[in-house]
Amino acid sequence: MKFSKKPVLGILIALLLLPVAIFSQNLEAFEENVTEFTLDNGLHFIIVERTVAPVASFVTFVNVGGVDEPAGHTGIAHIFEHMVFKGSKTVGTTNWEEEQEYIDRMDEAYRAWLNEKYRPQPDEDKMEQHWEDFERYKEKASEYVVTNEFDEIISREGATGLNARTGYDFTDYFYSLPQNKAELWFSLESDRFQNPVFREFYEEKDVIREERRSGVDSDPFGRLREEFLSIAFTAHPYGRSLIGWPSDITATTIEDTRNFFETYYTNENFTFAIVGDVDPDEMRELAEIYFGGIESTHEAPTVKTIEPGQRGERRFVIEEETQPILMLGYHTESQTHEDWPALELLSSILSDGRTSRMYRRLVQDEEKALAVQTATGFPGSKYPSLFITFALPNQGIGLDEIEEAIYEEFEKVKEGDITQQELDRAITNARASLVRSLNSNMGLAMRLARIQGQQGDWRRLFTYIDELQNVTLEDLQRVAEQYLVKERRTVGKIVNVDADDEVSEAH
Amino acid sequence: MSLSFIQIADAQRSWDEIEYPPLNSFDRPDIEMFELDNGIKFYLVEDDELPLINLRVQVRTGGFLVPNEKAGLNSVTGTVMRTGGTTSISGDDLNELLEDLAARMETSIGLTSGSATMSVLKDDFDELLPIFIDLLKNPAFPENRINLAKTQLKSSISRRNDDTFQVGIREFQKLIYGAESVYARNTEYATVDNITREDIVDLHEKSFVGQNMMVGLVGDFDTHEIKQKLIDAFSEIPAGERIELEFPEVDYEFAHTINFVDKRDVNQSFVMMGHIGGTRDNPDYAKIQVMNRVLSDGFSGRLMRIVRSQMGLAYSVFGQYGSGNFFPGMFYTGVRTASETTAESINAILEQVRRLQDEMVSQQELNDTIDRFLNSLVFEYDSRASVLNERMSLDYAGLDPDSFDRLVEEIQAVTVEDVQEVAQRYLRPDALQILVVGHGGEIGDQLEQFGEVNEIDISIPEPDDEEEVAGDAEAGREWLDRMAAAVLPGGGISGDLIFEADNTVQTPQGEMVLGLKQTINFDEEKLISVVNAPMGEITMELVDGEGKMMMGGNEMPMPAEQKEQVMAEYYRNHVYLSLNREGLQAEFTGMEEIDGETYAHVRIVDEITLNLYLDPDTALPAITTYRQFDPQQGERVTVKLVSEEWTEQDGVMMPYKSTSYSNDKKVSETTVKSHSVE
Repeated sequence: MKFSKKPVLGILIALLLLPVAIFSQNLEAFEENVTEFTLDNGLHFIIVERTVAPVASFVTFVNVGGVDEPAGHTGIAHIFEHMVFKGSKTVGTTNWEEEQEYIDRMDEAYRAWLNEKYRPQPDEDKMEQHWEDFERYKEKASEYVVTNEFDEIISREGATGLNARTGYDFTDYFYSLPQNKAELWFSLESDRFQNPVFREFYEEKDVIREERRSGVDSDPFGRLREEFLSIAFTAHPYGRSLIGWPSDITATTIEDTRNFFETYYTNENFTFAIVGDVDPDEMRELAEIYFGGIESTHEAPTVKTIEPGQRGERRFVIEEETQPILMLGYHTESQTHEDWPALELLSSILSDGRTSRMYRRLVQDEEKALAVQTATGFPGSKYPSLFITFALPNQGIGLDEIEEAIYEEFEKVKEGDITQQELDRAITNARASLVRSLNSNMGLAMRLARIQGQQGDWRRLFTYIDELQNVTLEDLQRVAEQYLVKERRTVGKIVNVDADDEVSEAH
Repeated sequence: MSLSFIQIADAQRSWDEIEYPPLNSFDRPDIEMFELDNGIKFYLVEDDELPLINLRVQVRTGGFLVPNEKAGLNSVTGTVMRTGGTTSISGDDLNELLEDLAARMETSIGLTSGSATMSVLKDDFDELLPIFIDLLKNPAFPENRINLAKTQLKSSISRRNDDTFQVGIREFQKLIYGAESVYARNTEYATVDNITREDIVDLHEKSFVGQNMMVGLVGDFDTHEIKQKLIDAFSEIPAGERIELEFPEVDYEFAHTINFVDKRDVNQSFVMMGHIGGTRDNPDYAKIQVMNRVLSDGFSGRLMRIVRSQMGLAYSVFGQYGSGNFFPGMFYTGVRTASETTAESINAILEQVRRLQDEMVSQQELNDTIDRFLNSLVFEYDSRASVLNERMSLDYAGLDPDSFDRLVEEIQAVTVEDVQEVAQRYLRPDALQILVVGHGGEIGDQLEQFGEVNEIDISIPEPDDEEEVAGDAEAGREWLDRMAAAVLPGGGISGDLIFEADNTVQTPQGEMVLGLKQTINFDEEKLISVVNAPMGEITMELVDGEGKMMMGGNEMPMPAEQKEQVMAEYYRNHVYLSLNREGLQAEFTGMEEIDGETYAHVRIVDEITLNLYLDPDTALPAITTYRQFDPQQGERVTVKLVSEEWTEQDGVMMPYKSTSYSNDKKVSETTVKSHSVE
């Protein structure tokens, strides 16, 4: 068997025509199974009927995330996310009225302690007194707790995959159930978002501190990411710690968290998606019953800070025991900007797959890197964010050498070196990964809810592929010239303390 | 409030009032199965939801076939099989062809099985199937891709200590299965270097043959139509010989141990504790599964409920008694907790393990646990592909196709007595091996309550540590003989070697000078040192393996660690080496230049490799080097001892000036004032 370039090209042309047909059919066929409705109170639902198996996935998407946090309370979006698992006035307690008394007193004592602690000359005795009160009420409140009852109820009914994610741009809550138990989701979901209870709040902050230790403090990538964002962003909240700076976690009380919830968790910020073997009419009825009575009285504020232009390249080095890592980021645009599709395709051409430019050169041919990955939309995509590159050098290869090689690859793009074949390949693969993602209830529900919640129309999941189709080679060259420039750049490095030649000079 | 709202509120039901309609049925698809003459078994399930076809070949092979000195061979073979392309199409061309079609082909070989997969748009299936067969049959394994895979593997090795979790799992497995066990061994630089192209070709040739293959196919195809295509294509694969899935026994001895890996760049400990587990064929398997879920099952298990939600000690806490299909699994519990709460968390978990044995679960807790399992069963088959995958895994493991259905029945029959009984039978909280990976400075002495702490050295052996290049043994012996003649011009030594010296040590507070008088008897393995330290005179005595220390009239036994260190120094002493040269495995590896001087390099292979650099004129050991773990630095260091100003007295040569370095940093200097043999 021998393969020349010719038949390959032949296949390619056939393919360019083929998937377009397959996919446009796909959207039409797909749309037939989608039911969409908005309740009078503004709550929006997307139902996808997928009868492959008698199961269904449920997603609550909230268009609120780390960027919305008030100053001094980084991490509060994530703290609230944890609290939603604590139940409600009826789930997770033996007596809510009495429990609430102690929760309120506990928080009051904690706030008094906090206020005293941060006075210029704190009164140690008072602090101790407040702390004792706090501990006593915490103990009393805990006597009413039925720990993790929310999880127990749904798990007993067969729920799987219960979890939630807090991002800079959004928060989502999700699990799957046997299809005949959809009403349980409606009942519990409407209850827990109407009646958040801030139960075991201070125990949970300890859990979150452990989460921070695992994900940030004790993880080289976590440390690098947090440091990187705080340097790349001066004004925009993308530069803040998502899980929260430790002192902010300490300073956040139940009162603060309730305020955050009441300010931001408004009806218009919610989108619900259900995908699976469910009857859309029945879902609509249940939605009316359980969510129809929820009113919100105000509009949630939005982020109005715009990251100012950079005055020069930013660089930093973390010296530690870990092996070296390189991270680059360039300020770009948000997902609604017209350059977004070109930036995504550029990233794909540079580092997705074994034919990508950086893999081929740095990993395969020159054996300089263990891995190189680019991505756009870091750490979020709702607001202008970063086009980033991560690189792990192979043993004995300096970070400078890798950094130079990456810049060379960016320069080639600016010189118009990318071919139509590479561009077509990137589009074809974007299409194919969309198709491959359509057979997961949970994956679909998450993506549809997010696109709807952030961009107002779930169909963009499909129509976005057509936008990719319109990107030209000139567009790729232009976005590289415009965005991948030194003045937009932040460079972060982890260098190994034991290696002597790694600390580099600025370029 | 409007009327309609009251009606709505009325229709709302709280979670315990809801009545559920019956579950829609799931018709498990039939699996079309057939076998070819060459032994390949096929499993086909149609699924026309998406225009895709996914094919998976499961291969009876694995890392268990690979000897320790070539650890990593399976991984390299699996990688290069794909990246290297075939004898007809190069790796680069294959990459382009597949990515242009958004198709995927991947190959890999794990510990207990190998696989080759293909995922394509259905219209490309006919086009790509022959190439997939070519990949199975004729991978090219070119040298450049083999080197690439090895470089990548080595890079991963160099990074393996960066992630606490990875360190913890790896070192815990070694504690359970043994460091040399195929189930726990490390792939090292040296074992990667040992892998040859021939090894790779051999492993592929014996593995990817019909007798070892199961092929599963799921996607948008017509079974009848595709069957013939598969038969035609896969008949090309030679039958070969069947590899038996025979796994080495695990010889486990229960022991209570406490082990520690010091990692100074974290503020959280990762704790693993447990012992050996069991196998899937245990008749108590169903009962054990219920016990596992009482202990740990999402938020509802006891560990999450108590250690996380109530005590706030962890974000992540887990545990289970593992049952392997092919070899015993592990019983393990794990937690990540702040350095300060390490011991508290260990005790909290221990309490939950003991509680499983000490008290019966309540009927309610058991019912809830079983309900969680039974009601989520529907997710076991949430796609047509899952039916196919389950059947193939059962067949591969040699389990009955109805194993899972039987398990469901058995789980329904489990009682509260059963749970306690299996906990008592299989869990051994008195004999747990505990491993903590964390920050020694922050953890302090918390671990001492669990026993004598064994510190584990995780520094990565460099390839030259285990150099396989054999030196010249005969020349090595000759050089040692010459050295012995030079060190002991009198031909031997009878009596005690006594010397007095000043030892200048570099400390963080500056230089410190200690007076030292040492008496060594090489016949009796006796070592007495009298040290004049700022806090007074200390006498250290090591006789017949017994060590003691005396200071200010007090006597106490020498700590094991220190004793070990003193003995190691004794065994490295040039007089000892000269006297005992017959029993040493010495190799001459050539003349080497260090700092402009040329020396004869003699390597003494022992538990720790010792390198002697002999002055070619005098044959005296001018430089000695070895590598060892330095607990202060938390890593392996190269120790170098430079010996100068050799002086003879009573038929014995002593270096009157010796300087020692750790990773080229000067640590101490010893100036001998006099020596004698008495």
